[in-house]
Amino acid sequence: MFKKIKYFFKGFFGSFKLRSTEFIEFEERELENIFALLLMGSFIGIPSPPTTLVMRIMPHMVREIYVMQRRAVDLDDMIGEMAGLMDIE
Amino acid sequence: MRDYFLPKNAFRTIFFIGKGGVGKTTTSAAVATYLSTKGYKTLIVSLDPAHNLGDVFMVELGDKPKKIVENLYGMELDMEKVIRSYLKHLENSMKYMYRYLTVINLEKYFEVLSYSPGIEEYATLEAIRDILKEGDKWDIIIFDTPPTGLTLRVLALPKIAKIWSEKLIEIRRKILDKRLTVEKIQGERKFVIEGKEYKLPSREEEDEVLKELLNYKDEVEEVLTIITDRDRTSVAAVITPEMLALYETERAKDSLFKLNIPLNLLVVNKVINLNVEPPQLKVRMETQKEVLRKISEKFKGMDIIYLRTYEKEPRGLDMLNTIGELIVIQRR
Repeated sequence: MFKKIKYFFKGFFGSFKLRSTEFIEFEERELENIFALLLMGSFIGIPSPPTTLVMRIMPHMVREIYVMQRRAVDLDDMIGEMAGLMDIE
Repeated sequence: MRDYFLPKNAFRTIFFIGKGGVGKTTTSAAVATYLSTKGYKTLIVSLDPAHNLGDVFMVELGDKPKKIVENLYGMELDMEKVIRSYLKHLENSMKYMYRYLTVINLEKYFEVLSYSPGIEEYATLEAIRDILKEGDKWDIIIFDTPPTGLTLRVLALPKIAKIWSEKLIEIRRKILDKRLTVEKIQGERKFVIEGKEYKLPSREEEDEVLKELLNYKDEVEEVLTIITDRDRTSVAAVITPEMLALYETERAKDSLFKLNIPLNLLVVNKVINLNVEPPQLKVRMETQKEVLRKISEKFKGMDIIYLRTYEKEPRGLDMLNTIGELIVIQRR
């Protein structure tokens, strides 16, 4: 009986937990995207940081490049993503 | 002796700048030779992609310091090699990390990178930094630079690079801050790619990117402190008595002033002295007179040295030493 209540609360708060960081995670992804874009600036025609600096950071940028790529793929559904965040279905 | 050629508290760095063909290489070689005979351990480095430092000394130089005579060492930097070794290093570390990237064709990316704007300047700066890092091995380091345009851009780079790294550090800290917030609520987060799991770095000490950024900033700042320190760095501009060279040097002077880099000396090279003026050279001599007048007017208060044109191209140590003495020793 206690266990069941415990599980219930765990799931209950768990969902709150997930919801609570949704916006921060969105912001985080945005920043990661911008960071990666800045480093690859020469590809999209904006001034890029010192090439040697970019070269040194690139090996550690797996996640950011991945996020940037996903962002580019999902770009046609920006409204969808915003709607999801705002709870509009 | 002119004291801005001599080491003070630490080693002395001297840049010779000027338009193409005015005699930077010869002048800097002359100064290096003379200083080395006076007992200073001197390294002369050619940064010009079109090397001819070795030709002036009549020895073959490579990309490692080579002893020419006692106390005198010379090297010619191979920019292309520097860039290539960079890319090679990067390619290896990236191939491993970015296997999943199918959108960007890596090989092509590197091909583009080696032609990307500014890479030559950055490689030059990096090479200068490497030499300065081991500067304590020498008393005096003399840089024979590529023509003014490129040199000024290279000298401006540390400042720009510093701004870039500061901005990127700022964004990076924000990302880490957000990650930490999420981590505190959700627990440690993993990032899975191609079956491999990585922990998402959220603290400054575990984030490699931030580490690299901070290192880079430190390195750039180090160069910046050295080249803006009057006790450690001097710049000598070489000029011929021609209008174009004068204009360029004037602009260089302004740029250096903005960058807070001291310009100490003006060497007016290849001044023609004739007892009998052939009529064919009349116009030329008049221009020279006019330019010389302008030089003393525009660069008032600066140290100026006039060197005449030599009948023979100055090559070899003896001749370089004689010219070097003319430049280094101060006459009143």
